[in-house]
Amino acid sequence: MTTTTKHMAATLAAAVVLAGPAWAEGELNIYNWGNYTSPELIEKFEKEFDVDVSVDGYDSNEIMLAKVREGNTGYDIVVPSDSTAAIMIEQGLLAEVKPNEMENFSNMDPKWVDVYWDPGRNYTVPWQWGTTAFTVDKEVYDGDIDTLALMFEPPEELKGRINMLSDMPEVINAALRYRGYDRCNSNTDELRDITGLLMSAKEHWRTMDYATIEKLTSGDVDLSQTWNGAAMRARDQRPTLAYAYPKEGFTGWMDNAAVLAEAPNMENAKLFMNFIMEPENAALISNFARYANGITGSEEFMDEDMKNAPEIVMPEGAPAPDFVKPCPQEVTDLYNRIWTKLKQ
Amino acid sequence: MAKPTQTPATVANPDPVQPRRRRMKDLRKQPGFDTIAWICLFLLYAPIAVLIIFSFNDNRSVVKWTEFSLRWYKAAFENDGIRKATVVSLQVAAVATVFSTTFATMAALATTRVRAFKGQTLAYAIINQPLMVPEIVTAVSTLAFFGIIKQVTGLSGIGYLMLAHTVFCVPFAYMPIRARLEDMNLTLEQAAADLYATPIQVFRKVTLPLMAPGIVAGAMLAFVVSLDDVIITLLVAGPGETTLPVYILGQIRRGITPEINAVSTVLLGLSVVLVSIFFLIGNTKRT
Repeated sequence: MTTTTKHMAATLAAAVVLAGPAWAEGELNIYNWGNYTSPELIEKFEKEFDVDVSVDGYDSNEIMLAKVREGNTGYDIVVPSDSTAAIMIEQGLLAEVKPNEMENFSNMDPKWVDVYWDPGRNYTVPWQWGTTAFTVDKEVYDGDIDTLALMFEPPEELKGRINMLSDMPEVINAALRYRGYDRCNSNTDELRDITGLLMSAKEHWRTMDYATIEKLTSGDVDLSQTWNGAAMRARDQRPTLAYAYPKEGFTGWMDNAAVLAEAPNMENAKLFMNFIMEPENAALISNFARYANGITGSEEFMDEDMKNAPEIVMPEGAPAPDFVKPCPQEVTDLYNRIWTKLKQ
Repeated sequence: MAKPTQTPATVANPDPVQPRRRRMKDLRKQPGFDTIAWICLFLLYAPIAVLIIFSFNDNRSVVKWTEFSLRWYKAAFENDGIRKATVVSLQVAAVATVFSTTFATMAALATTRVRAFKGQTLAYAIINQPLMVPEIVTAVSTLAFFGIIKQVTGLSGIGYLMLAHTVFCVPFAYMPIRARLEDMNLTLEQAAADLYATPIQVFRKVTLPLMAPGIVAGAMLAFVVSLDDVIITLLVAGPGETTLPVYILGQIRRGITPEINAVSTVLLGLSVVLVSIFFLIGNTKRT
């Protein structure tokens, strides 16, 4: 009796283990930036694979990283930004799920395959990517907007009408680009020059704040450093705004879906990674989050207003977006000193 | 012997009361009192008023008024994320309230209905510890601690979040209950005991009904505190355990819509109702 029961149990267990990957019934827990996951996308995935999906939101890479480092979060999928993805891979927090061997990998735009944070794409899949430059009211200033001079040596019309992001790397990198210096810079002379530039530019800045859409649409400022998707949403409410592609360069960033090394639902997570490389599904993400996705063929399924948006479609001749690697600690320390001085 | 000691006390009492009352009046008549009070009230409540006003805005903006509309309340009500977060918030708050109030009641009885014991102050300090320690410290240590427990036991679920909430709600529930017990006259309980009531009967028929207002007040405070918590929840919550405040925080980076104003207004309304009940109960029972 007992032996047969044991046998049956063993067979059942084996069946469950074998069946799991094949049918992938069960759960999937996603931990993404807040308000960044298309509910339609989730619904479609749930229906197609008979999986129960839960989505939770975070507001910074740091919070997500802190929780994942402590372990046993219960999450399967996270969506770190490029430099955080690099850190997570280095620390062994992500599972090497080999998206590059998945069925839909051929849809990934080749220019997003050999990226610094995951060369060859062994761990991550593009979620959304965008740029950080600035947007300005063309009615207030009608000259050439494609230069960082508008932020650092503003013309008379824009003096005192500028909002900068309250973000150390974005502000300092913009200053470095304006002067033509290297990113992750530890050259004391160059940094002293940057500090002087920032301190004199600060006279003309009204605020330093993340709430750029609110700042622009309320008319509090006429120029704001901002992300391209936010610029597009601000333009909906203030049509005279235009997003600049400064000739000195601007930041590019990418948020990437990745599977945690300790994911409880590994097989479903892999299915999800493959799922979002399908052009139609990538378009669902973009239509909701309002950024580009890095999957070729997805444009076809995107909302009309996004297909031609000057914030999403970069003009010919604009410089390539500059993806900035995480800087060494000594550089961050130097930056911190400049930042503290600037914020005083 | 009793009379001479009583009379000076009753005679002495009115005297110190009067100058104190006069000093209270003086404070209000200080130059600038009204101005400062109004500035404080304005700074405290103007942002909240703006938040409420813009929850009724028809536009997508939280800074530019167009016309009155309830569309964001409808949108918030139909938003799956908000609905789920609300349910989680209420579940966690309910469980945390029941357990923290029970523990707080026991702690309050054990620190007031006994002869003064050595280390009583230490006991107070330990019970109130979550009030003293910065929340971020509690949050980070709880995160690490639960991480270890999960590693060892392999258990996961919303129980961890409820446990964390219970712990930081205890002192909030404890304070009003202890205050109530200290206000209560011991004579009734002694009289009951004199009439051969067992300690359990005394507790059920006399002590508990008398301390009930304190317990209700404590429970409501605990409920509101649990509902409002962000930092500990942010770090402790697992999959599918996003509470309303954490949900709202997650939206900020990507631009706020009046939907958030609408939810915040509802949350604010709920807090105001609970706190009002708390004060009403406190006042009616004291008279």
